[in-house]
Amino acid sequence: MMTRIFWNDYVVPFRPGETIAAALGRAGIINLGPAGGPARGRVFCGIGACQACVVAIEGGAPVEACLTLARDGLRIGSMPAVVVSDE
Amino acid sequence: MARPSSMHVAVVGAGIVGAAAAHFLAAAGARVTVLDASGPAAGATGASDGAVSVASKRPGPMMELARHARAFYGQLETEGLFTGLFHRRSTFLIAQNALEAELVSQHGADLALAGERVIEVARADLVQRIPGLGDGVTAALEIPDDGHALGYQITARLLQRSDIDVRRRAPVSEIMVRDGRAVGVALTDEILSADAVLVAAGIGSAHLLNLGDILIPRKGQMIVTDRASTGRPAIDGHLMAASYLAAKRGIALDRSHIGLVIDPLVTGQFLLGGSREDNRSDHRTDAVTVSAILRAALELYPPLGARRVVRTFAGVRTASRDGLPIIGRHPHVEGLVIATGFEGDGICLGPFMGESAARMILDRPPAADLSMLTPTRFARGGSSA
Amino acid sequence: MSDAPILVVGGGPAGTSAAATLAEAGLPVLLVEQRDQLGGAIHRQVARGATHAVHAPARHRRNWAELAQRVDAAGSRIELCTGTVFLGVDGDGRHLLDDRESGRVVARSVRAAVIAVGAVEKIHPFEGWDLPGVMTAGGAQVLLKETGVPPTGPILVAGTGPLLLAVSAQLAKAGNPPVAVLERGRPWVRFNSLLRMAWAGPQLGEAASYVATLLSHRVPYRTGADILSVREDDVGLEIRVRRNGTVHRLRARHMLVHDGIEPNRVGIPLSDPGGAVPVVLAGDGREVLGADAAILDGRRAAREILARLGMRLPEPGEARLTAARNVQAALSDLFRSALPEPTPETLICRCEARRLSDFRSLPDDASTREIRLMGRFGMGVCQGRFCGPTIAALRGEAVPSAIPPRWPLRPVSLAALADLKTDDLES
Repeated sequence: MMTRIFWNDYVVPFRPGETIAAALGRAGIINLGPAGGPARGRVFCGIGACQACVVAIEGGAPVEACLTLARDGLRIGSMPAVVVSDE
Repeated sequence: MARPSSMHVAVVGAGIVGAAAAHFLAAAGARVTVLDASGPAAGATGASDGAVSVASKRPGPMMELARHARAFYGQLETEGLFTGLFHRRSTFLIAQNALEAELVSQHGADLALAGERVIEVARADLVQRIPGLGDGVTAALEIPDDGHALGYQITARLLQRSDIDVRRRAPVSEIMVRDGRAVGVALTDEILSADAVLVAAGIGSAHLLNLGDILIPRKGQMIVTDRASTGRPAIDGHLMAASYLAAKRGIALDRSHIGLVIDPLVTGQFLLGGSREDNRSDHRTDAVTVSAILRAALELYPPLGARRVVRTFAGVRTASRDGLPIIGRHPHVEGLVIATGFEGDGICLGPFMGESAARMILDRPPAADLSMLTPTRFARGGSSA
Repeated sequence: MSDAPILVVGGGPAGTSAAATLAEAGLPVLLVEQRDQLGGAIHRQVARGATHAVHAPARHRRNWAELAQRVDAAGSRIELCTGTVFLGVDGDGRHLLDDRESGRVVARSVRAAVIAVGAVEKIHPFEGWDLPGVMTAGGAQVLLKETGVPPTGPILVAGTGPLLLAVSAQLAKAGNPPVAVLERGRPWVRFNSLLRMAWAGPQLGEAASYVATLLSHRVPYRTGADILSVREDDVGLEIRVRRNGTVHRLRARHMLVHDGIEPNRVGIPLSDPGGAVPVVLAGDGREVLGADAAILDGRRAAREILARLGMRLPEPGEARLTAARNVQAALSDLFRSALPEPTPETLICRCEARRLSDFRSLPDDASTREIRLMGRFGMGVCQGRFCGPTIAALRGEAVPSAIPPRWPLRPVSLAALADLKTDDLES
């Protein structure tokens, strides 16, 4: 059985029981954006510690892609970029 | 008093007030040693919001002084010292019921009387400027001339002069006094002699100057969220709930000890505060108080529901018994100046008060009347020094 | 509060072992695990619905089967909370749990706590370590165990330690052998350490089988290799490597990095077996001794809690913990190497985008607080778990340095925390 989540404008299929990180990885989505920022999102430590794979979620607080199971119809996207202040 | 060029001043406390005093003393030619038990901005200066705000001040001398202090930020920004660190930013005083609306309106009148620009903002206009504002928000006043600066960045900038000797991990245990004059400070294994001493050590001033019955620690718990925006504040202004004003004016709106501010940081994060817990000097945060602050914040600004809390922390403000700061010469010891008790106003008042303390040490006239803040007021009717 | 449960945080070998031991002694246990299944990183189970499984050493399979059976046998004495993140202990002593499935943060009254949250991988930073496509070898291994499917495209494995071999062999067996394994150390030349390893028994046998797998897939294993930098272009990553004084350029789609592990201690309550609510650390989160020792250490932690409650349990096998310590010491000696100095532009703190030059611009005697406030190191969402060891090394301090307990231990939904629920044991 295949179901799907939405990464920005992409449809990403997943298998029930799979994390968001696993689904994105299998779809070849490595860059979790945002483009151009000095520190873009990406799956890194796989255990929720580094927070690099945190994704924005429609209608709630952001979650770690590596800890959170994909749910059918879930809409996710990039977090705001980290910008170094101008001092 | 010695000429500045041959004078050595020991400044106890590397918070924003001590750092400002050190800066202006050094600029006048004095040799300055700043001593701190930890390091720069280790106390309340590094654990506060960044409101350089007149809007929140109690009517009377504090409101007046805050206007001087904020203007001083503007002057130092123009002159280059605070470039990039101080920004103009509106404060919005926000009411969520009729009682609060009355309080906000009264406060607005007091601000206007003090010469402050105050703009009434209709709910529809406010929601346009700050989309997502809670349904309960009925009325707001905008104070457009307020500003923002981070206390620890200001402190670091003030101490950047190469002619200031900053000693970290250098706790001062005693002020050395000989023949009624301050002659230095005692460190762990050394006496540092000085021609004058400034004590600007926040609550740490209490044991140095025997002010235990005058200074009151007041803990405040605060919360930092993740980023809602990229490299700029997520909303265009500092939101100050009527509950915060009430706390500042000493009015009990309800039984809560929370005065809510929502402070949008330049990083895109929010700083949410805070509690007012008298006689608490620990730095612990607790989930019940934090959740109460968050509930108030969510009610005022529901988009926070899409944020995560990344950090909680507590700062300890130093309040005086009569609620006013203490700055002035020690009543009985020559060459000893005190500057403490700024409660939650240290970031706003700090640079101005530090400069004023420097003037006192240099025997120069003050830039504003600070006579009501003199420590002497506590000495009348029985000295303890 | 005597009917309050013992909280056990972490469903890996240490936590599961502690929970089972406590339950077998007749105590109610609240076992909290952030994922949807028990197992932790080493015994990570394949995701429900996945079609492939990855090879795991027989010893690990046996150990886990036994632990899982003990948890099953404990029945209702173990209340299992999966999908729940431990947020730490607040200033009033509340143990805070973030139940991600229900979206609620709960303060639970507990009688004691065993904290077994495992280790975090160390990463020695180089230019480009923050790029998408670079991930930790351990993280990649966990993902591989869950899905059974390796990443597609060329993979380079780099850093140091035996995990590089294990991950590379598993990738090879799963169908995508790495283009190369770049080991910074020179384990072949440290014969003394190798001899001391000889009695490590099963670990050495496993290492031999990994090497055999890599040989049969013709995966080059290069020692004495320093990663200099990584940059990305339209097709992937270009990795600059220095080996024997010569700089080589390699290409890959994925780069897996790993420089050993540290106990995950940032903000974790300090071990306080004598406190009103005793807290005991267990497993790699206490001391990195490996998965087998973690099972023993979980039992040791449970025994400590039971002793506090006036119950006695036989000695758990301190000699075997000592043996595990010796193996770890021999391993770290075997793979010992000098770390190359990062360039000034190298990102040290990914969360706040701070570089080595930012650290160098701080005063030499900067206080811990200044490093946080002015440097912003440790102020980001990972709470310093990744830049912490680097900063400590730059300051010549030991790791883990004394870090005061804090909460939340992880970023937490603001709305969920606002809606805090305290259990009925708290008035």
